[in-house]
Amino acid sequence: MSDATLILLLSTVTTGVMLGVIFSLVAVGVTIIYGSIWMPNAANGQFFLLAALFAWSASVSWGVHPALAALLVIGASVPLSYALEIALIRRFYDVPNRNISYFVLSLGITQILSGIFSITYGVWSDQFRIPPIVPGVTLLGPLPIANNRLVAMAAAALLLALLFALLRFHRYGRALRAVFQNRESAALRGVDVRAVYRMSFILGNAVVFAGGVLFACAYSFDLTMGWTMAVTAFAIMIIGGPGSVLGALVVGMVFGFTQALVSIFASPTIAAFSYLGAMLVILLIRPSGLFAR
Amino acid sequence: MSSRIFRAGSSLATCLAVCIGATAARAQDPVKIGFITELTGPWSFTGASCVAGLKLAQVQLNPPGKRQIDFQIVDNQTQPAQAIAAARSQDVQSKVLALSGPTSSDTALAINGYAEQNKVPFLVPVAAFPQLTKPGTRYTFRIEPDAAGWGYAWAKFIEKQKPGAKVALLYSDFALMRAIAAGLKWQATKSNIKIEPEIIFPQGSSDASIQAAQVLAANVDYVIWIGAGGFETTVTNQLLDIGIKPEQIIHPYGFTTLIRSWGKRSAGSHYGTFFDANIDVLTDEGKRFVEDFTKQNDRMPSYIENYCYITATIFREVIDRNPQAADDREKFRDALSTFKSKEATSGVPIEFDGNGARKEYMYFMELQDVGAKDYKAKQKFYAEWDPEVLPVYDLVK
Amino acid sequence: MNAGIRWWLPYACFAIAALAVPLLLSGNRYFAFVAGMTLISVLWATGMNLLYGYTGLMPMVFAGIAGISAYLTVGLVAAGWSFWPAMLVGSVVAALVGTVLGLPSLRLRGFYFTLCSLVIQTVITLAFVYFVNLTNGDTGISQIAPPKLPGGEALGGLAYDVVLAVLAVIGVVVLAVLVDSSFGRRLIAIREDEGLAEALGIDVTRQKLAAFFISSLFAGVGGAFYAPYVGFISPRSFDVLVSLNIWLMVAFGGRGTIWGPVLGATLLAPVPFLLQDYYTIKDVVYGLLIIGVIVLLPAGLVGGLKHLRPRPAPAAAAKAEPAQ
Repeated sequence: MSDATLILLLSTVTTGVMLGVIFSLVAVGVTIIYGSIWMPNAANGQFFLLAALFAWSASVSWGVHPALAALLVIGASVPLSYALEIALIRRFYDVPNRNISYFVLSLGITQILSGIFSITYGVWSDQFRIPPIVPGVTLLGPLPIANNRLVAMAAAALLLALLFALLRFHRYGRALRAVFQNRESAALRGVDVRAVYRMSFILGNAVVFAGGVLFACAYSFDLTMGWTMAVTAFAIMIIGGPGSVLGALVVGMVFGFTQALVSIFASPTIAAFSYLGAMLVILLIRPSGLFAR
Repeated sequence: MSSRIFRAGSSLATCLAVCIGATAARAQDPVKIGFITELTGPWSFTGASCVAGLKLAQVQLNPPGKRQIDFQIVDNQTQPAQAIAAARSQDVQSKVLALSGPTSSDTALAINGYAEQNKVPFLVPVAAFPQLTKPGTRYTFRIEPDAAGWGYAWAKFIEKQKPGAKVALLYSDFALMRAIAAGLKWQATKSNIKIEPEIIFPQGSSDASIQAAQVLAANVDYVIWIGAGGFETTVTNQLLDIGIKPEQIIHPYGFTTLIRSWGKRSAGSHYGTFFDANIDVLTDEGKRFVEDFTKQNDRMPSYIENYCYITATIFREVIDRNPQAADDREKFRDALSTFKSKEATSGVPIEFDGNGARKEYMYFMELQDVGAKDYKAKQKFYAEWDPEVLPVYDLVK
Repeated sequence: MNAGIRWWLPYACFAIAALAVPLLLSGNRYFAFVAGMTLISVLWATGMNLLYGYTGLMPMVFAGIAGISAYLTVGLVAAGWSFWPAMLVGSVVAALVGTVLGLPSLRLRGFYFTLCSLVIQTVITLAFVYFVNLTNGDTGISQIAPPKLPGGEALGGLAYDVVLAVLAVIGVVVLAVLVDSSFGRRLIAIREDEGLAEALGIDVTRQKLAAFFISSLFAGVGGAFYAPYVGFISPRSFDVLVSLNIWLMVAFGGRGTIWGPVLGATLLAPVPFLLQDYYTIKDVVYGLLIIGVIVLLPAGLVGGLKHLRPRPAPAAAAKAEPAQ
């Protein structure tokens, strides 16, 4: 196998993993929130973007080291989510059909955020790049790969593993699944439903923020990426099965790889059509989602 | 008898006084220009940069004694429907003399349609789509060379650097990129340049490592990458990561924020521009413009800011040379179409052809160094050409 | 029809208001333009209301269908057709395409349908950009001529606005007729409880398909008239954000009511135009408005106000909208 072909194959694998873990992270974050409080968060794309922009501000404008900036930003999401929960989200916990109200609410939040971005970051630059956490390039066989990309991939994979462990084995994860299945019986079993709701909202957003920061580590970005990510995240959640974190994870990785694999043989546009097509096929075969409970 | 003469005389005097007063009053009314640009939405950065350049020009635009020019800056949200609504508002409510402002091709085309239908002169500062000045255009004048011409010019450049070169062409699926690619491909067949592979990225792409590997495998002499926003610098960096040499990379256009993100290791790559702090010939006004802009905005100006700056100077010059044109749209349109001058900042000639297209030019720059804030480049080449040296209005619709 | 005094009164009022607005604003082409865009939004919101308000399906492909109709109509006119038959063909074809595209998603319930249609909308937008020969891609189509009347004259400013007003009124009346018919009652049954509806013998898929087709017709007609009115169309004129905006007008105004979406469209559609001067805060104001309304009135404006008004009689109560 020639060097060129090997480079192509290796780069396909790394791209698949890279896109897959980022997609999965955001989809898991959206799923946690949807699965617990039944809120489809249309603003997830803007939160993703917000995290990336904050990380940029911290590392470029204030000179903070990018790794520290990443942690700061993810940490900052906690009080932000908490404030949002108290102010707006918790009002709807007992409203029937609250998923619709939540969707409208999140659209309002999306509008506000994108308006703020337009007149601030949108005026300062047309694209943003975070200085690398680890500069330089490593060789993976014959494939040169930016160290920053490796770091982002590793961090995202680690985060996903931790989340999975949390949700499967930890008491909170069990409580979350109980609440998702039936909140009345969960309450009867002694689960503090509202506390679980609050935790889920905070955790879900923190995960989306983490996705945004890690994306910014691996790629340059601009203000338009908010919507692209939001649509992809929803698509993954639906196909994986709403409320199923495993589903979001698996489908996210599948998407990343489908796009990468098709890119070898066809143009990037066909690759984009293909994974959207795959989505539709899955929806036809299993309308409730692959891993629905 | 004397009382009649006296009354006639006094009414004549009153008449004269009123007339002179009215003319003087009208001469004091500022000339209004509707400046409709992208202040929110995907192109907010280019719109805001344009306004920053315009504001610098406004500092010395209205000296006492000259007819005031008032730019009414309106946001079009990078939405064609909003652009048309704004054009309508400026035309109907504010009764502006002319329209200007858009930097994005689709908003410019939308306003262009309105301007042509409603006979309003329209001076487009930054928006390179060829169809803005398609044959038969009367009221639209485009200051920036058309995008198909950029592609044409780069093909000629490559032909000079390396005859028979093999070139990879990568671009994003947007109107501007397609136009540049069309011009490039047209001239490439005539210049004996082989384009392979040609890769088009859909809107919303984020990763191009696989395509970078494909380009590496194709063993080309040059890689031409036409993109915008975050994806532009992502692809540039991924090309460099995978081992493409900076000398092989050509960016048909480059400006400060992009160049900064290309980073130090991009030194040696080529980019095109129409104004840059590093070009060989800068007039004194041009040097002052660079200094003042850098101080105010913490970055060096590029061609976007420059075009909006000289848009203001063009309005000033036209009105100074043709005072009656200041209140009459048709006269203003005629004055623009016969306008001959130079860019105040660089001395490049300004002249419009019968369709409102400008005689085209480009600087071919080689990047030398990129710092945290500044960058240094060397002007390698300068070319001028006529917009219709290629069938530009048929190539790109 | 409703047993009440003069059931036709609100419709007559609306018709008069809709027709009066262009006449009153005819002196100012800018405000007339804003009014025209609002009327198109009313038509669209009414169409989406049929599917969302009364059938419980949120179609994110709505803008895409409007776009297919717009591009097709513009293409046919460019090929020499007169606008009016082109508009009819464009709308019907777009509605058929929309129904076919919607077929897979009709098996899905509730939010699954929404997200599936979101994906289909993304594909449509990508296709608009990609198939440059058909749509001129990202560049868009500019200088679209206004429709020509049978006499050969172009449909000028005021006349065009009046046509849009007539369309909006027809749309609202059609919706009202449909809602009050047995078809409408079947749709409401499906919205409330699909399983039960099926148990009752309603052919759910067929009803959904019919609702989808009619709703798509609204989208298509609106799209065909939008193109010459604005004079410029591009893939971004019909992307997912447009669908969401129309949906927002319905949810904001109050779904499942005739007048809710009309009110929602009337309030929300002019905002981007009228706040153009305040571009720095426009988006924030829009967002706050939406949040404010949904927090105070989770069922939307009209839905919420309905709950505030005391019911006049038990018969009317039985006919009133079920709790959101």
